[in-house]
Amino acid sequence: MKKSLLGVLSAALIATFAVPAAPVLAAAPWAIEKAAAPLKGTKIKVLFLDRPGYRAIIKLLPEFEKQTGIKVNYEVVPYENAREKQVLNFTSKGDITLALVDLVWIGEFAENGWIVPVDKFSGDASITDPNLNLPGFFPLLLNAFGSWDGKVYGLPFDNYSGLMFYNQCMLKDAGFDRPPQTWDELMNVYAPKLTRPEKKQYAFALQSLRGETQSADSFMRFLWPFGGSLLNKDFKSNLLSKESQAGLKFRQDLMKYMPPGVVSYDHAEAVNALAQGQVAMITEWSAFYGTLTDPKTSKLGKCLGVAPEPKGPAGRLPALGGFSLAVAAQASPAQQKASWIFTQWATSEAIARPYVEAGGVSGRMAVYKDPAVQAKFKYVEPMVASWQQGVPEFRPRFPAWSSITEVVAEFGSKMMLGEVSIEQGAKEIGSRMEETLATEGYYDGKKKKLQ
Amino acid sequence: MASLTIDPPPRRRPVCLSHGRWTPFLFLAPAVLTLFAIGIYPTLFAVVTSLRHYNLTRTHDGFPFVGLHNYIAVLADHTFRETLARTALFYVTVMPVELALGVTIALALHRPGWTLMRAVVRVSLVVPLATTYAVVGLIGRLIFNRDFGVANQFANWFGMPGLDWLGDPRGAFAAIAVMDIWQWTPFCALIFLAGLSMVPNEVEEAARLETSSPLALLRHVQLPFLLPGLTAVLILRSADILKLFDMVFTMTRGGPGAATDLVSIYIQRVGFRVFDMGTASAQAILLLVLTIVLSRLFISAFYREID
Repeated sequence: MKKSLLGVLSAALIATFAVPAAPVLAAAPWAIEKAAAPLKGTKIKVLFLDRPGYRAIIKLLPEFEKQTGIKVNYEVVPYENAREKQVLNFTSKGDITLALVDLVWIGEFAENGWIVPVDKFSGDASITDPNLNLPGFFPLLLNAFGSWDGKVYGLPFDNYSGLMFYNQCMLKDAGFDRPPQTWDELMNVYAPKLTRPEKKQYAFALQSLRGETQSADSFMRFLWPFGGSLLNKDFKSNLLSKESQAGLKFRQDLMKYMPPGVVSYDHAEAVNALAQGQVAMITEWSAFYGTLTDPKTSKLGKCLGVAPEPKGPAGRLPALGGFSLAVAAQASPAQQKASWIFTQWATSEAIARPYVEAGGVSGRMAVYKDPAVQAKFKYVEPMVASWQQGVPEFRPRFPAWSSITEVVAEFGSKMMLGEVSIEQGAKEIGSRMEETLATEGYYDGKKKKLQ
Repeated sequence: MASLTIDPPPRRRPVCLSHGRWTPFLFLAPAVLTLFAIGIYPTLFAVVTSLRHYNLTRTHDGFPFVGLHNYIAVLADHTFRETLARTALFYVTVMPVELALGVTIALALHRPGWTLMRAVVRVSLVVPLATTYAVVGLIGRLIFNRDFGVANQFANWFGMPGLDWLGDPRGAFAAIAVMDIWQWTPFCALIFLAGLSMVPNEVEEAARLETSSPLALLRHVQLPFLLPGLTAVLILRSADILKLFDMVFTMTRGGPGAATDLVSIYIQRVGFRVFDMGTASAQAILLLVLTIVLSRLFISAFYREID
């Protein structure tokens, strides 16, 4: 009897302390197969770009489809058409269930209600991986690529940082054993020794083709590190500030160390100029590492060096770009759930390593702590360093950017060609930009000043 | 004697060969409906859109009727006028060259003899026409590449320094003009060749006996047969140049600066980058009006019935 009483008391104690954990112990661990079981056969649709990060996930897709039974239909489109296709699809209630969101589209997509905040799904334990771990993303990326007005809409998927790629051998021949640390050093110390026009060799190439390349990769790159910016806190043009003018003037002065015709260079031309030994240094997206290490597309071999972008007077504020995946509001409830499961899988910590191995750049911090990954991919260390700081609004992410980028692209390239002075160009961009922002309602209090 | 009676054959209903009053309408209906669906309805939709504030990325603002506001804004838009002027410059740059080369090629192919060569050339003339505009632009990017392009290779063979075609405003304009001439001269040649084939043989032979001057033959005998074709070429190319987009976009995206920013590139930007469909529709309708006016001018200036 005593024994039995002790047994009952023991059982009661165990029951008392085990109760809170009981449901966890009782429930089977979360498995993507189980979560997706009710959605088997659901078709989801997303746009991809013809870039390494998308090729990487396409390689891994069969595994996801096998595990979940969810069919992922994707269409590969050029970057220039991606926004257009999605906007037309969303406004005509089309078939896209998962939005591919460039960081400069997040404001537009969110404000129009085309994408759904993740908290709609993350509270549903049946479809949310307990290891979702949002703090596991680089905070800068989650903030810049996926968040708008304090809400998270998308998870960082295809992530870039501006990096300096350089030809170590050319630098060594010119007497340098390290890359330049500052923009000033690049222009005044390195560039004169690395530029030999008679041999068609130049120190630096800056992709500046009219379009987003001019506005994002060329124009904006020389504002932030010099302490300038496009807008001040009142959303008025800041391009005539001393700092912005200094940055733009620096770009103009640096042109004498660039190949002629750099105004017509897109990413491909700039990367190719470095790959073929025509220029010694470029600042490009981390995603081009694969192109520069592939012997089929690059002669650099072991001469390739990778470093963070140089610092300006305001510090190291490199170019920031990338895409998140966000569930489309127009999708049916089942497609939304399936798209959410796919988004978690494609951006998960579990898939990060194979994704990186396949040529993608994950937004997860954990994967880059792996010494094997650091050793294998030279871009990791400078990229991770770049993502420790930086400005989410490197390019404003509000809906008006699609209009403003066109003006910046036009007058940015006119400045480089000398068709307008830096001051005139800045005035033109400023007045047209303010006109657009006034129409949007930023000056009469109709709209929150978010960028 | 029994009388033999033969039943008359059963009367067939006569086949009705006459047409009801609706028959022509029924025959025409499919064509008219198709034309309405693919031509008239979109145009009417564009007209209605042009009278509204219609931005696809600002749907929460609604699509209010704004009357002629978009048209006034377009006419006051400095960039629109600039791009239109640039397009006119492009037109007067390429058209004379295309017409001159087209007539020359057509006359060469119209000469008697060299049958096989003529057949080969006629087929090869179709190649540029059959090439997609975007591909022409990509080919242009390769041809005019400063470092490894064919254009600079040619220049070097003749002792001239290579030019920075796509990085220089004038070079880029020249490069898109060259690619347009490459693509559309064969079209002019084929149209003119069709015109030359309409010249009655006996008239042409008699004229050849009268004069040995090819210019006199062209002026007095062949030219009247070329004029209808010339009118067609001018009308079609006017419309085509006003909406020329793919080739220029893939080659220069309208740059460097605004050197190749033709009106169609600008309209695409307003319509599909800014998604201001109201303004873009007003621009497109104005271009349509311009095309119609130009067509009427060309018809009254050049078109002559051949007696």
